[in-house]
Amino acid sequence: MTVSHVGASKGSPIIEFDTVSKRYLLQPGRPRSFQELLVSAFRSSPPTKEQDLHDLEREFWALRNVSFSIQPGETIGLIGANGSGKSTILKLIARIVQPTSGIIGVHGRVSALLELGAGFHPDLTGRENIFLNGSILGLSRTEMRRHLAEIVDFAELERFIDMPVKHYSSGMYMRLGFAIAIHTQPDILLVDEVLAVGDESFQIRCLDAIRRLKARNKTILIVSHSLKQLTDLCDRGIWLEGSQVQELGPMAGVVRRYLGSVADEQAQYLLEENAHTAEELAEQNSTTVGGQSETLAPEVSEPAPRRWGRGPITIEHVQMYADDPATRRGIATWSFRPMQPVTIEIAYQCKSAVVEPIFSLLIHKMDGHYLWASNTLDHPIEPIPGPGRGTLRVEVAGLALTAGRYYLSAAVYPEPDPPFWRTPSDFHEWLYEFQVISPTEVHGDIVMPGRWEHHPL
Amino acid sequence: MATSLPRFGARLSELSHYHELISNLVVRDLKVRYKNSVLGFLWSLVNPMLMMLVFTIVFGIMLSNQDIPNYPVFLLCGILPWNFFSTALSGAIQSIVNNAQLVKKVYFPREVLPISTVLANLVNFLLALLVLFAMMLIFRIPLTIWAILLPVVILIQVIFTLGLGFFLATLNVFYRDTSVIMEVLLLAWFFLTPIFYNVDILPAHRVVLGIDMDIHRLVYILNPIASLVASYRVILYTGAPPAWDFFSRTLITSVVFLVAGYLFFTRFSPMFGEEV
Repeated sequence: MTVSHVGASKGSPIIEFDTVSKRYLLQPGRPRSFQELLVSAFRSSPPTKEQDLHDLEREFWALRNVSFSIQPGETIGLIGANGSGKSTILKLIARIVQPTSGIIGVHGRVSALLELGAGFHPDLTGRENIFLNGSILGLSRTEMRRHLAEIVDFAELERFIDMPVKHYSSGMYMRLGFAIAIHTQPDILLVDEVLAVGDESFQIRCLDAIRRLKARNKTILIVSHSLKQLTDLCDRGIWLEGSQVQELGPMAGVVRRYLGSVADEQAQYLLEENAHTAEELAEQNSTTVGGQSETLAPEVSEPAPRRWGRGPITIEHVQMYADDPATRRGIATWSFRPMQPVTIEIAYQCKSAVVEPIFSLLIHKMDGHYLWASNTLDHPIEPIPGPGRGTLRVEVAGLALTAGRYYLSAAVYPEPDPPFWRTPSDFHEWLYEFQVISPTEVHGDIVMPGRWEHHPL
Repeated sequence: MATSLPRFGARLSELSHYHELISNLVVRDLKVRYKNSVLGFLWSLVNPMLMMLVFTIVFGIMLSNQDIPNYPVFLLCGILPWNFFSTALSGAIQSIVNNAQLVKKVYFPREVLPISTVLANLVNFLLALLVLFAMMLIFRIPLTIWAILLPVVILIQVIFTLGLGFFLATLNVFYRDTSVIMEVLLLAWFFLTPIFYNVDILPAHRVVLGIDMDIHRLVYILNPIASLVASYRVILYTGAPPAWDFFSRTLITSVVFLVAGYLFFTRFSPMFGEEV
């Protein structure tokens, strides 16, 4: 049980886990108050086997014999289901919790973005909190003074910096927390899901700041649900499954295999689910008015990128193209201007002939709000004649969306499945992100090009 | 022990890197304490004066069966150190639990928290001492050469408070009753310490269960705070040298408390992150 934090030496890993295990006691068997302590002292009979078994159920191994090493300058993405041990790894590196067994070596100054603004005192001003937070992260006052201007500038809080932070909005609070952590010159930056906060323009700047740290050869570990973000940022990925390292390798490959396994699991789940949902479905149908009801088909759901479904057709590839009017050819991109003509392409692979394949594309806002969809039920296509590959292209005359970031989802069904569309052959849900950039079209959700005219009398 | 000694040294050197955090937390505590009050830091002066007034009315006028000259000064010599001790100790006990948000999310040497709490209360105590000196002027009690021992006595008290604070703060992380029990114990401790009365009013000898007990000695031997209060009193109120045997015993007791408390604290502090 050792954690050593010493200076880095050249050529050696900056973070090293050697057969590290971490056990949490879910409901600790030990007394929590003096009363319980007293009671347990009188009940001194040796624990029976049943009790032992009980204690075993109460413990939870967040990590089991995990070993890996990270070289200075690497950016690592951690993926895995909830409870697979991602956050525990960050907490172990940050020395907030101790390993139950194994050896951890960390050679450099760690700045952990486990929670933005942890340690802010509500009654102190932004400026006072910058110095306080800096010293919590181990920086001296003079060092902090050097970075003060950058921090305030990055957090966009010039006018509010001498105001107690209790009057800040949650966005301002987060921005200040992020700005401090990123400007404290860490050797190692730990980021846990915090990239999902703030407005979209701030998110973009957070990502830029992380990219700049990356360019300066800092070591970065990121836990994020946005697989797109991870693929963009990270060199290598660690996929955790059941408290162990399932795979460690180049990020894109790890993400691909992770999604594949999630799809398999989902298929297995759907198979079991389908065995007994026939009756329920009939019942639900009778309670649904017009194919839509609030409880069954919520308009807004929490965005969680995932790939699921089971069937003969799989989606291999989805890409958006901006149509360049000069060359009349599409340029592959995820960044557009409002009302720009756009082509969306789906590449599929099919194992057998499908008479009425339904392809669908959906666009959601970052908060999960459903904005647009188009499918081949409304715009029928020819049947797929047999095993093979193919592509579908949807030409959108103008992307009528305001500036911001959006999710694109793609789905394929082996046959029409209204009204619930629960049996996709392959569903890339929230898997693609694109942005629309505009200085003027920033209000509301949609763009309806308008022209103002003024006629003074 | 052979392996834990170098680690102990490494811990202390790490702690010294965080001296800036300690001073920032002290400043934060003081700023927050006075931020929303009209009188601000003047409360550090007004509060002891009001307490002196209350105790002087109750024990100097209403129950004046003990004849202590210059009672307000006598009282302040006891009540100011006591207030420092009890507020610093209660604060230190709660320091880890109250900063759970921080302890769960950021690494820093955990001992920073009790230390800064005790030091913030020390600043308060030093301000309050101004009231004591003012009262000594008013009652024409001369300062003698022995007053130069004051910083030493204060240091001993800080050492003792920290030692006990380390121990109880650790206990409070695992058993939250600690702070509740300590509230009651501190009240009892207050009455058992000769703060508003003179130890002379206690019987010198009493036979309990056939054992002849020297009550005066027992009060001081079992109660380091009583020894400290006596030291404050003798060097300021009486203006005489302290009884050196008591003085050194109190010093040794305090150092033992600090070392033991700190070892206990560092033994368990790695677990704070998941226990608070």
